[in-house]
Parts: sequence; C-alpha cells; structure tokens
Amino acid sequence: MDINAGGFKSTGTYIASPELMSAVNVARALAKPLLIKGEPGTGKTMLAKAIAESLDMPLITWNIKSTTKAQDGLYMYDTIQRLYDGQFGEEGVDDIARYIKLGKLGEAFSSDDQVVLLIDEIDKADLEFPNDLLWELDQMEFYIHETKETIKAKHRPVVIITSNAEKELPDAFLRRCIFHYIAFPDRELMDEIVRTHFEKVDEHILKEAMDVFYLIREEKSVKKKPSTSELIDWVNALQLGGIDADTIRSALPFIGTVVKKDEDLETVSHISFG
Amino acid sequence: MNIGLSEWLSLVEAMDKGLIGGSFTQFYLISRMILVRNEYEFDKYDMIFEEYFKGIKHDFDDISEQMRKWLEKPEYQAFREDLEKKKALLEEEGIPIVDNEDVLAKFRERQKEQDSEHQGGNQWVGTAGNSSYGNLGGHLGGVRVGGTTGYQSAFQVIGERKFRDFRNDRVLDNRQFQMALRSLRQFSTRLDIDKTELDIDKTIDSTCNNGGHLKIEMQKPRKNSVKLLLLMDSGGTMIPYTNLLNELFHSVNRSNHFKDIKTYFFHNCIYSHVYNTPECEYGDWIETEWLLKNLNSEYKVIIVGDAAMAPEELYSLTGNYRGPNDGYSGMEWLLRLKKHFKRVIWLNPKMAPGSAPWREAETAVKNTFSMYRLTVEGLKEGMKYLMLNR
Repeated sequence: MDINAGGFKSTGTYIASPELMSAVNVARALAKPLLIKGEPGTGKTMLAKAIAESLDMPLITWNIKSTTKAQDGLYMYDTIQRLYDGQFGEEGVDDIARYIKLGKLGEAFSSDDQVVLLIDEIDKADLEFPNDLLWELDQMEFYIHETKETIKAKHRPVVIITSNAEKELPDAFLRRCIFHYIAFPDRELMDEIVRTHFEKVDEHILKEAMDVFYLIREEKSVKKKPSTSELIDWVNALQLGGIDADTIRSALPFIGTVVKKDEDLETVSHISFG
Repeated sequence: MNIGLSEWLSLVEAMDKGLIGGSFTQFYLISRMILVRNEYEFDKYDMIFEEYFKGIKHDFDDISEQMRKWLEKPEYQAFREDLEKKKALLEEEGIPIVDNEDVLAKFRERQKEQDSEHQGGNQWVGTAGNSSYGNLGGHLGGVRVGGTTGYQSAFQVIGERKFRDFRNDRVLDNRQFQMALRSLRQFSTRLDIDKTELDIDKTIDSTCNNGGHLKIEMQKPRKNSVKLLLLMDSGGTMIPYTNLLNELFHSVNRSNHFKDIKTYFFHNCIYSHVYNTPECEYGDWIETEWLLKNLNSEYKVIIVGDAAMAPEELYSLTGNYRGPNDGYSGMEWLLRLKKHFKRVIWLNPKMAPGSAPWREAETAVKNTFSMYRLTVEGLKEGMKYLMLNR
C-alpha cells in the first residue's frame, strides 16, 4: 500500500521530503500528534499550513510564548468581566457559560469540521507545559469546572507540534508523538525550494548564490548559520539589484541579508569563495 | 535506547494498518519516527538497526521459500496496483502503453542493475533496493508522469551516518553547551523555596471567586537564584581545547540568566591566584583566598580542565612555576575549594573512560571532585549534581 496516496503531498509552495510525507500520514493513521523538530528556517511552521491546504482543512494556530500556560489553550473563565458586569447590573451574570472563552485547543475540539491544529514552538513555554496537555491530547477532551461541561472533539484534529529544540521536552510527552526531524535541506532540495518562491530565476545567480550560501554554512566559525529564508531574500535582492552573477563570489553584494551578525560578517569577509 | 511498551504497540499498530507495506525502507523510517524521540538518538538507532539486520543477504536465492513469499508478495501487489494506476493515467494522456510483462521484465532488469551498482561495500543496499517499494517507485520515475523522488534506501541513509553529529556523547559545541546550561535555570525554578511573591492573577481570580472578598495568593519567585563560579584551565595540555573553551566562555556570558557568574582561568592547576584572562598573564589575577572569603558557599563551582598535571604540580609546595604557591600544594588548594563550596564539579574534555590508574593526577582529582566528561551527557549529569539539595 502506498501510504502517501490520498494523504499529504507537497503543495505548490511547500516542498516536503518523502520521509516527512510518510511521517504526516503515519501520524494521521495512528491518531497521534506529529512532533517536528529542526533548525530555525527549515519550514516547520510552513509545513502545518501546507498540510492544512493539502488536506483541505482549516488551520488553527496556537503560538506558544514563554508565558503561555496549558490552561490558555483550553478555556478562560473571565471572572473580572463577570464581576464587572455584576456590579453594573448587566443581564445574564448568572450564566457562567457567557464568561467562558475557549482557547485554541478548545476551538479545534469544538469545530464542526476536522481541523489541523498547529501548536507552534512548544519549547518556548515552561518545562512542564507539554505534560499539562498530555491528557487533553490523548483523550481529545477536557472538562470545564465552572459549567460542569465536557468539551469533546467532534473530529480528532490533526495535531502538529513544532519545536526548535531550545528545551528538552518531557519523555512522557515525546513517547506519545510521532517524531520527525527536519534536516537542513541539501542542495538539490534547496534548489527546488528556492524555485517555488520565484516565477523566474536567473540560473547563474542562483548557482553562485547557492555555492556561497553552502560555503558559509560549512564554515565552523560562523556563529549564526544562515537559513532558507535568508537565501531566498538574498537571491531576491540579487535579482532585483540587477547584480552581475560573476561578481557574487568576489564582491558578495547584499551579503547582509545572509549574514546578520557583525562578527560573522568579519569571518565571512575572510573566506575565499574561489 | 529507552523504548517503552506504548511505542512498541504503536509500531505494531502501524504494521497492522499496513502503513509499512512490505517495504524495508518504510520499516526503517516508520520504526524510527515512532520509536526514537530525539535526533541525537538517530545515530544509535542506525547502528542498532544495522547490527540487527546486517545478516540479511541481498541474494534472493539464499532466502527460504517462506521468507521470499513474505518479501515479495506485498511488493508485487503494490507494484501491480501502482501499475494499474499508471496505466489509467497514461491512457488519459494518450500515451501508448507497454504491456505489463514487458514493464515487469524491465523492472527485473533494473533490480539487477541496481544490485550491482550498490553492491560495493554495503551488502544491504541490495536488499533494501530490492524489497523497497518506495525505491522501486522512484526507479520507475521515467514512466511515471510527474513522479516523485524515490526514497533513499535505509542502508544508504545509515551508511552516510548523517546523524552522527547529533550523538550526545560527542564533545560539546557552543549551542549545546548553552542548552545544557539552561537546565541549570530549569532546575532552579523548582528549588525548594518559600512562596514570597504576590501572584496577582491568582489573587484576582480567587478574590472574584470569593464574592469580592480579598483573598491573597502567593507564589514562588521565578527568578533564577543560581550563582556560578567558572574556573577554566588554559594550560599547555589544554591548548587543543582553547578554542572550545573560549566558545564555552562566550556562551556562558551570553546566557546571562544567572544571578551571578564569575569566570577565572588557571594554568594546569589552581594555586594562590586565578587569572582574569585565558592568557594567564603574571599580575592580572585575583587571590584564590579572596574567592574563598567573598563568595558564599552557595556558589556552584564548575572547573573545566583536563586534570593532566605533573605529580609535582599537584603535590609539591613549589610545584607552581608560574607564580606563588602561598604555602599550599595544588592539591591542597583544590581541597580548600571543595571544603568551602557546597557543590563543585569538574568537567574534563579528555577524561579517560572507566578508571585509569596510570593517569595519576586525573585519578587524584576524580577522587576529590565529581568529574564528568565534557559532553552533552556529561554536562547534563554534572548540572543535575550541581542542583541537588543536600
């Protein structure tokens, strides 16, 4: 059986490796969240969008910040609004349900259609955050104490979780996920990726820019390695600036779009790009 | 590798649902995505996988009848299905179709070609190539209209060992060092301290739930209370590690989430003075005695060095040839540090595995301090030890 048939495929703007495609489809088949790890700029967030697009499902994104709590994703009980309304004699203060606001997870659960839920950059939050979501993600339901109501997923959302590996995620959490590591794209794939972003690309500029780009990435002393989006910006700048491709290696025009740290610019200026 | 029953059951479920489809490469990939939880375990997984499956011969004649059936059946079924699909597609496009037998024969031929191509060195590729439907799909790319790139065969992936860099027993790089140091912060939020801060959100919530009567909620302060003293060896035997050390130093500087960090350098062993710079210039120093008097015992001390002193550097009262000893041998200075500070660890980039009695100084230092190898794993262990409460 070709598990990629009828499932997730590369879309027009997102290039997925076959490995990644089967990871997405396995995660769907086993009804488990898909955890995607990888360097910044390897297209983790884009992936969720592409999956939603290719499966024709709405995408709900829950952006995680350092202050995000698991509860935020479920629901909020707006006690202050209720107190406020109570003091001014508003109607319906007795109805607690009026003051319950669903979070992103709650939204995904209560949606009438199956959705793709992206929990973006889960490693930004507190160490315990993923553990606090275990039960909800396993059972696909949660309980609202205030209204004694259970929110249960009508259709199990396709859960995609991304992580930049800033923090170790708890074992119990990892055990429940399908794990996929996005390696940095090799030249061949990168070539394809860059091309999807331009209608027309100057072959010579692209080749020279890619050569320089990968040489910079290989240089050990470069502190912040440039990523895909930087290469795309650079190729764009080179084309718009009408730069002669033959001068790219020697003059490094607009190199600031690729290398952004002063010390790295210094390092790069000493590399010979042949 | 630490694999639990639930992952194992998931893998069985995946097989049961036919997700693997008789393809060896798919088996490799899908087992990995279910069983392995971290990219730094990929390499270990590859090694184990190879060890277990390397006995598989790529020559079909050697395989028992039953095995052959098992290997071939799903593949051909899938192949046929695919062929039907392609046929329909080609018909739509109005392209003449080669008859099935012909395509199959060609497919066989290709299989043989591929065998001989990939045979060199890796006996597995043959097997993977032969039995992998994914690969096969890729090889027929010429026939397929708008086909996708074929899978890399499992063995090729393993052969490259491209995940070696993620192994957590290799010597650290800068980013990993910063990450490991973060665990110091993480552990510190769990410190057993009193609730001394007003939790405004909770107070408001509780007050509202309390019918408007004030109900105060307190919380533990989330600030990091960890103070660090970093002592780094920049002696001759550490020169190969100077670059690494320098990076580590920078990264510690950057991860400025500690309450306090003090960094000093020493040359081979710690004596009466520690230096302000890695160059260890005469006079640009502070007294070790000052450290002992002014830093309280709560400072967590990390000493980085190879502990490869000459015996006299460690035991002689005049063993320090770069400055004064002040009446104590190197070992005695180290013991004074150990006595003053509650938690001291020694990180050693060159630590010998197991006990190495021939490394006299290292053994002596190891007996004095908790010593860890300077790797991701070692650093984690070390941090754990540093954060333990007595």
